Amino acid sequence: MATKVIESERTAMAQKVTRHPDGPGLRIGKRGELTGIGKVTPDGARIFRERLPQFQAEAAYWENRIGTVQSFRLFLFDNDTRILFSIVYDGDFKPYVEDLMNDVSPWMDQIFGGVWEGYTNFKDPALMDLIRNAQVTAEFFYAAYPEVSCRDVQKMKRLSAAVSEMLDAAS
Amino acid sequence: MTQILDLADIQATVLRNRPMPYCGAYVFLRIDDPEHARTLLYRLIPKITTSADWQKPIDHAWINIVLTYAGLARLGLSQQILDGFPMEFRVSMAARKEFLGDIGESDPSRWDYPFGSQDLHAALVVMARDQDSLEAKLAIGREAMVGLPGVTVIGQLDVALPANFREHFGFVDGISRPFIEGQGGSPLPGQGEPLKAGEFFLGYVNELGELARGPGPQTLWTNATYLSLRKLHQNVAQFRRFLRQRAKTPRDEELIAAKMVGRWRSGCPLALSPDRDDPEIGKDPMRNNAFAYYDDDPKGLKTPAGSHIRRVNPRDALQDTIVNSRIHRVFRRGSTYGPMLPEGILEDDGVARGNVIAFVNANPARQFEFVQSQWVNDGDFISAGHDKDPIVGNHAEDSQYTFPARPVRQRLDGLPSFVVTRGGQHVFLPGIGGLRWLAEGCR
Repeated sequence: MATKVIESERTAMAQKVTRHPDGPGLRIGKRGELTGIGKVTPDGARIFRERLPQFQAEAAYWENRIGTVQSFRLFLFDNDTRILFSIVYDGDFKPYVEDLMNDVSPWMDQIFGGVWEGYTNFKDPALMDLIRNAQVTAEFFYAAYPEVSCRDVQKMKRLSAAVSEMLDAAS
Repeated sequence: MTQILDLADIQATVLRNRPMPYCGAYVFLRIDDPEHARTLLYRLIPKITTSADWQKPIDHAWINIVLTYAGLARLGLSQQILDGFPMEFRVSMAARKEFLGDIGESDPSRWDYPFGSQDLHAALVVMARDQDSLEAKLAIGREAMVGLPGVTVIGQLDVALPANFREHFGFVDGISRPFIEGQGGSPLPGQGEPLKAGEFFLGYVNELGELARGPGPQTLWTNATYLSLRKLHQNVAQFRRFLRQRAKTPRDEELIAAKMVGRWRSGCPLALSPDRDDPEIGKDPMRNNAFAYYDDDPKGLKTPAGSHIRRVNPRDALQDTIVNSRIHRVFRRGSTYGPMLPEGILEDDGVARGNVIAFVNANPARQFEFVQSQWVNDGDFISAGHDKDPIVGNHAEDSQYTFPARPVRQRLDGLPSFVVTRGGQHVFLPGIGGLRWLAEGCR
């Protein structure tokens, strides 16, 4: 049974954590988390490490196109028999599945193809089932600035640069 | 290969141009006896207007029938087939309230009956160019129900498109629509590349290159589609007061209204006439939709990225992102209900008035629901944070609209909800073959 929270000055800033209204995982404000664990194929770990440098090098390009991912981590564990992915992102995930399939499948296939057991390709209609079966909902989730998205940060950076430029010009 | 649509099997609602102006009605039905409902279908099928003669209609009126998930269940569809329908259709639109932004004043608990209730099982959709032909089609519905107490009329919603083609806020409505492969003719300027038929009808290939399918036998879903119905109350006096308060001059009022919508009230797009209304462009079908954003107006200085028309149909604006706008298109059929608020009135008269919209889509999740949740009620896709559609968004929580201008951008704070949801329902519009299959006891 859940213990009752004792209100104090330390709980005054508590974030409201909810289930994602339309998809897996937890959510605070605009920020959602998606975590999943899958099995690694017998030769998967070798393939994974072989492809990893290219995957890593292309990450910024693909994520810039997606525009909503705050962080993305991959782990091999249990003697390379299992793979864990953990993504923190803005907004909704499920409504964008078809768009993601259409656009970023080459990148996803590069790292998961032949590595994650059951994964055929990112365009496979069965992908959502694979993700759903792999998905584990976080027990705990904290997000700094849950109301500020990646796109908001980009906009703020542009604004900040413009203000600096203006101040430079005025000084 | 040329796409051929089986027009004689597709109900008229999707393709047939509504006579302009027109009047119409949604007649809501509850089904208590499946046998009676099947008899009703059996009697109605020969009278259902199809899309076959949509370019040269014999009479300028039609009658169609739609079914809800609960209605299909009442008709005796097996649970296995029912389970195969899309989740959004199965759970009803009221259950999607949080995702669709139907909260606060728009909460389903406040919807007009029969929306959001357990009673809405089917509806007759009747459209006509005048009251007499409308009555004639309604009579067909009434006659078909004679001696069938197991099917009850639980409400009727009268709709129209007035002679000036304007909706309650005063804007000419119904200008932009997608062009569907196989519909015949050629696209008008601005309609872009024809969209695959599978975006709007089951039984055809869609924009993802897949066959748009439904559950159960092919007969049930071929040439069928879904209508995502919305009954939206419009706070007209509030909209007028808002413009009056925020504008310095009458001309400024029109500019602010246009910046919120993306078109002047005449229908003339800001994209083609950013500084002043040009009703001639508004009237001209060769020009009033002939624009795009990516090259011409990337910053939204003419048509703001957050304006209504650029949100619900971003055209080519999102091509640098992963979003493929072609898989998120809806075919929108809008009509008004309630009397117009007379010109110049700024106080609310308490009368119910608004828009009833039928969004035609083969995949409600990635079409209507995507547009409503990601583009209307959120701003992140255009780097606008929590900002929502200034006209139709739910402003219960956030309430500002910012649009680019020279020398500095303009911001409208304290935006009220000009539009409040009064009803919503995903309904199934079967083809004639599907109706026959249902009438014959799902055999």
